[in-house]
Amino acid sequence: MHRVDGGGAKDQITPKPPPSSRQSPTPSRTSLRGLDWFVFFLADVQTGFGPFVSVYLTTQAWTQVDIGLVLTVGGLVALIGQMPGGAVVDAARSERLVAACGVVAISASAISLAIWPVFLLVLLGRILHAAASCVLGPAMAAISLGLVGHAGISERLARNARFASAGTGIAAAAMGALGHWTSSQYVFFATAALIAPTLIALFQIHPSEIDPERAHGGKHEIGPRKLGKGFLSLLRNRALVILATCVLLFHLGNAAMLPLMGSQLTTRTSEWATVLIAACIVVPQLVVAAVAPWVGRRAEQWGRRPLLLIGFAALPIRGLLFAAIGNPYLVVAVQLLDGITAAVLGVLVPLVIADAARGTGRFNLAQGIVGSAVGIGAALSTTLAGYLSDYFGNPAAFLGLAAIGFAGLLLVWALLPETRPREAD
Amino acid sequence: MRIHWVIAAALAASVSALSAPALFADSTGEAQQARSAGQSDPGEAGADETLKTVLPHQGVQGVLGKEVRSSAGEDMGRIVDVLVDQAGLVRAAVIDFGGFLGVGNRKVVVDWTALHFAPADQRDRISVDLNRNQIKEAPEYKPGKPVVVLGALGSTGPGL
Repeated sequence: MHRVDGGGAKDQITPKPPPSSRQSPTPSRTSLRGLDWFVFFLADVQTGFGPFVSVYLTTQAWTQVDIGLVLTVGGLVALIGQMPGGAVVDAARSERLVAACGVVAISASAISLAIWPVFLLVLLGRILHAAASCVLGPAMAAISLGLVGHAGISERLARNARFASAGTGIAAAAMGALGHWTSSQYVFFATAALIAPTLIALFQIHPSEIDPERAHGGKHEIGPRKLGKGFLSLLRNRALVILATCVLLFHLGNAAMLPLMGSQLTTRTSEWATVLIAACIVVPQLVVAAVAPWVGRRAEQWGRRPLLLIGFAALPIRGLLFAAIGNPYLVVAVQLLDGITAAVLGVLVPLVIADAARGTGRFNLAQGIVGSAVGIGAALSTTLAGYLSDYFGNPAAFLGLAAIGFAGLLLVWALLPETRPREAD
Repeated sequence: MRIHWVIAAALAASVSALSAPALFADSTGEAQQARSAGQSDPGEAGADETLKTVLPHQGVQGVLGKEVRSSAGEDMGRIVDVLVDQAGLVRAAVIDFGGFLGVGNRKVVVDWTALHFAPADQRDRISVDLNRNQIKEAPEYKPGKPVVVLGALGSTGPGL
């Protein structure tokens, strides 16, 4: 069992050597390319699905109350399902099969949404989509770890972040255009059709190269009581719990920032508002695609903490700049900071989870714990920012979000241990 | 989990029953002949016969979810709600305006008299006497707060 002893930021985790004898796995090129494109198309699918539900249901003469209810139920399932989703991936012997089921489920719910926008089916579709997403996130990381092992995981996660961001950026632009020029119904058909390239890419990954033990971060015993014990031991894992708290604070400060800036942009400019908001969404994705590989390399050379400090520091700076500037074009420039943060967190959060859960066999359950923290932070962020904005105005809301982000930065600096394994020094 | 399913199923049953008529509001009233049953109050209706009004389907339309354009053809968003006063007269429409991928859109309120319906050729097209510049600075509509109505021409009347 890995342990983190004592206090202070300089702590190092001393991991047990990987239980598997296959120390340096050599996955084939085909498998690695397959994973690249699986990550890319999965990001496309998720981008197509999320933001269009509300617009589409509005065009189907749904009331705002019904739409809000469906979205809330979907959000709750996505939150509650994080840890069970991770546990399912840990228990699975074939991560590939789990991922394929998730993709099919999302595609099915997109088709049903496009063809039968009636309440019961839409609600079931949202629940199915949320549940599938809870499994797909961990499954993707598990396949990565199962293929390359701990030695190559930082580089691999960086590659995942690059392809996911490229997928999200391209899909946001393409689906946004599709929804604008045709109708949001076609977006769901396009999303459903993306199942084909996603599955083709997934099946390029050779199943025998995904070592299930590696994919789970070690061996663990199966059974409900063992699961409970494993869960409790993760909750006593200092690095993991601190990371989850930092990430919660980060998303509490981050999630509402762009929506708040988006509605401010809508009030300031008329013709260009939509284009500027689109740029604010796409620009950070391009930044991630550009710098993620650098982040992955530096995570091995510098360790995890310096990069996390950079990523967490960018959020309060962005909040301060948003509070101060009014020029809509500068807003897009400030979004470059969002890209830096997203690149760091996109690579480093799963990496630190993999470090912390090494040898426990519960890598994916650990991802579920951190995923729950992300969900809670993001959900509360909108409420908090809405309250601050209503009573104190937008600049105060940005400052409040920046202050929360700063608290997250302090926590990383003061408490988060360095989790880079010693032998990498 | 199980409790959630029960609640979800119960909500689904009740709300879909409520929303189903609205979904099909457009396709009702197929009859070509309009037979007016008068404006009498409900008490006058006999127990054996409920008064009916049949409207030609070209003559009416649902407004929920319909696209609104300015007179210059700019996209002004979609109608998501209709506000009535205590007398039940329609006063204003709530329009979901602007944004991209669900970021930056705002709900603004437009006076009912500023909206124009059904230009003869385009049944689904609703136009408004405002442009994007005029609508962009409108405060966001929030239930329970004073409502700022755009395009009210000083009239307190219900409009059309």
